[in-house]
Amino acid sequence: MSGDPKGRADATLRSKLHVASVLALATVLLTALTAHAVNDGASGTLASPESFASIDDTAARSAAIFIELGKVLTHARCVNCHPAGDRPRQGVQRRLHQPPVERGADGLGLAAMRCSNCHQEKNFDPARMPGNPHWQLAPHQMAWEGKTLGEICAQIKDRDRNGGRSLEDLVHHIGSDSLVGWAWAPGYGRHPAPGTQKEAGALAEAWVKAGAVCPQ
Amino acid sequence: MTALRITINGRSYGPVEVHDDLTLNDFLREYLGLTGTKFGCGAAQCLCCAVIVDDPDGTSHTSPSCAVSAASFNGKSIRTVEGHAKDGELSALQKAFIEHFAFQCGYCTPGFLNEAQVLLERLARKPVARGELEKTIAEALDGHLCRCTGYIKYHEAVRDVILAEPGRYLLAKAAGEQQ
Repeated sequence: MSGDPKGRADATLRSKLHVASVLALATVLLTALTAHAVNDGASGTLASPESFASIDDTAARSAAIFIELGKVLTHARCVNCHPAGDRPRQGVQRRLHQPPVERGADGLGLAAMRCSNCHQEKNFDPARMPGNPHWQLAPHQMAWEGKTLGEICAQIKDRDRNGGRSLEDLVHHIGSDSLVGWAWAPGYGRHPAPGTQKEAGALAEAWVKAGAVCPQ
Repeated sequence: MTALRITINGRSYGPVEVHDDLTLNDFLREYLGLTGTKFGCGAAQCLCCAVIVDDPDGTSHTSPSCAVSAASFNGKSIRTVEGHAKDGELSALQKAFIEHFAFQCGYCTPGFLNEAQVLLERLARKPVARGELEKTIAEALDGHLCRCTGYIKYHEAVRDVILAEPGRYLLAKAAGEQQ
């Protein structure tokens, strides 16, 4: 300890600066943690197809399985790129994408703002930038935003609104497509869709085998 | 780690060992000292950091350098704001930006300049009708943020450059069409 008044004053000032620094750091950390909690929700799990075996009625079992699959279909990771309008959404709050991109004629963005300008072949976590080789918006006719699960179900069975896919194609799309798979590996700071892609594919397959019945 | 080879403004660099989480922006500014490319939001929101990427098919597009990895540009060719002037002569766009007082602080200017250059190159390949020009320019510059002069002066500067060479950037006027 310094014996002179100036030395004591310096020590006091250093102490105050130290406390202020610690408080500032704590505030930043708390803010970051709070923001993260607000930005993304819990993901949950998926029940297995076998867990629906106790439902004797095949149609009811199929619809029940689809409702379980609906946890994935209606998750922000999926709906954000199946918007009703021309702009994708972001986060579980489903705010409009920033910067203000639009789908464009081919779903890959406007001429000067293509999806791939920012979204590269894989996630780039230092900048929180999600990526996939096929990053794009789902076409208008595949919009899920604002629809009930029953409406989504009818839509994805309709070849005119599902990209011409058969039910078998749908099972493959949900269970194996790499862009769909991004929903379970969305990068730092984003909660993945519920369960795993394999589990979602198994549910889709079980739903189809039981008649591909839609919930009301 | 990636042994990065990249062409910037026609000059080859590398191989340079870079971490895979190094941004292209940090590579340009901190490794190469090419500080004309700015760092703004760090999240591809303002696009002041946008650089031109030359695609193998002869087309070009911009990319925000702050939100992409340097490693992902291995083997690619890009252009930065340092590459516009040739032999000390400013490009037509640079001159137009100055004539229109398009910028004050200039922080966003490299991004606007690169975006406008890509637009010129796109129009040279695929001209538009005069009637579509305002919308085309607006859409091209849409993602770029400016907090000083706003956007009108940039827009007007780009428009002037295009209208100075209508035969290069615009479709020939159809019979009876008003210019």
